[in-house]
Amino acid sequence: MLTCITVIGMVRAMKKTNPSFLNGVPELLVLRLLASREMYGYQIVEAIRVQTREALSFGEGCIYPYLHYLEAQKQVSSQRREVEGRNRNYYRLTARGRKRLEELTSEYKRVTTGISFLMGGQHA
Amino acid sequence: MLRIDFIERLRFELLELGCPRRQLRRLVQEVADHREDLKQAALLEGLSEASAESQANTQLGDPFTLAGRLMMALRQTSWWGRHVLIAFCGLPLLVFPVLWALLVCANLSLGFALGFGWNYQKLHLAAKNPDSFHHLVLALHCADYLATALVAILFCWLARRSAVRMAWMATACAICSFCAMFLRVKLNPHSLSVLISWNPQWVRFAIPLLIAGALYAFQWRTIEIPCEQS
Repeated sequence: MLTCITVIGMVRAMKKTNPSFLNGVPELLVLRLLASREMYGYQIVEAIRVQTREALSFGEGCIYPYLHYLEAQKQVSSQRREVEGRNRNYYRLTARGRKRLEELTSEYKRVTTGISFLMGGQHA
Repeated sequence: MLRIDFIERLRFELLELGCPRRQLRRLVQEVADHREDLKQAALLEGLSEASAESQANTQLGDPFTLAGRLMMALRQTSWWGRHVLIAFCGLPLLVFPVLWALLVCANLSLGFALGFGWNYQKLHLAAKNPDSFHHLVLALHCADYLATALVAILFCWLARRSAVRMAWMATACAICSFCAMFLRVKLNPHSLSVLISWNPQWVRFAIPLLIAGALYAFQWRTIEIPCEQS
């Protein structure tokens, strides 16, 4: 669903084959990051880039429509606050978002376990 | 030299791509914050103010491309945005006659309740009298025009809400106009009928187009091509 997330080295191949291959992944990443603490857009983009060791990255600025969508789904809430002289929108996980995160995590584990079996256990 | 401010240019491009004003302000604000964060990160790396600003702009990409990406992401978040052809070409054609007829009935029922207290005796008496019958016909026209306008407004609202291009909104309104041109409701002293008439109804044809035009004007009422001399 999200078009602005990039898997380094895989973009061209995925566009040709299955552009919605990453459905659910951006949602999982954003909700997982917000589960630990509230963050603003730039922090989320940087955290995804750093914590996935640059394997995944959001297109700069493209995270905002996605965050607004999650907010409309009531999975995250936002608040504009001034911290250290800078006004930013901080996003935090809601109870609904936490529940969704649990669902996505379990689904992700199920899929990765299946893939590991298929790959002969070498990636388990 | 003519220099165009990055954020103003982005605002212009987003508006041109049909970004609803409600979302525009917040989106532009957040991208401006993001740009400032990129700039601060570049400054921490030891770059000069100008170089840091330039690097932040490069990382964000040119405003036209960024606006396109933002709008694509925005549209992907709704069913209407993902299926524009069905939503704004197919559905108006199928939904307009049904919705219009229902709304005409709802408007007439409301008028009946307000004007005659839902009393059929009073309505029959009014229908027999030529003067009051003339007023009933006028009320029917109002209900008809209102229903046409409401269906067009519904599609405009869906188009704005899903942040699709203004052209899709205009297409939906044009299809509503086409349907409205040939559908009509006819009142006889003791009966009401909905029929297809091959005599074009130009007033009803104009209503959805006028609504689309008004929304176009509203979207562009304050926009100016952003540029400044430096």
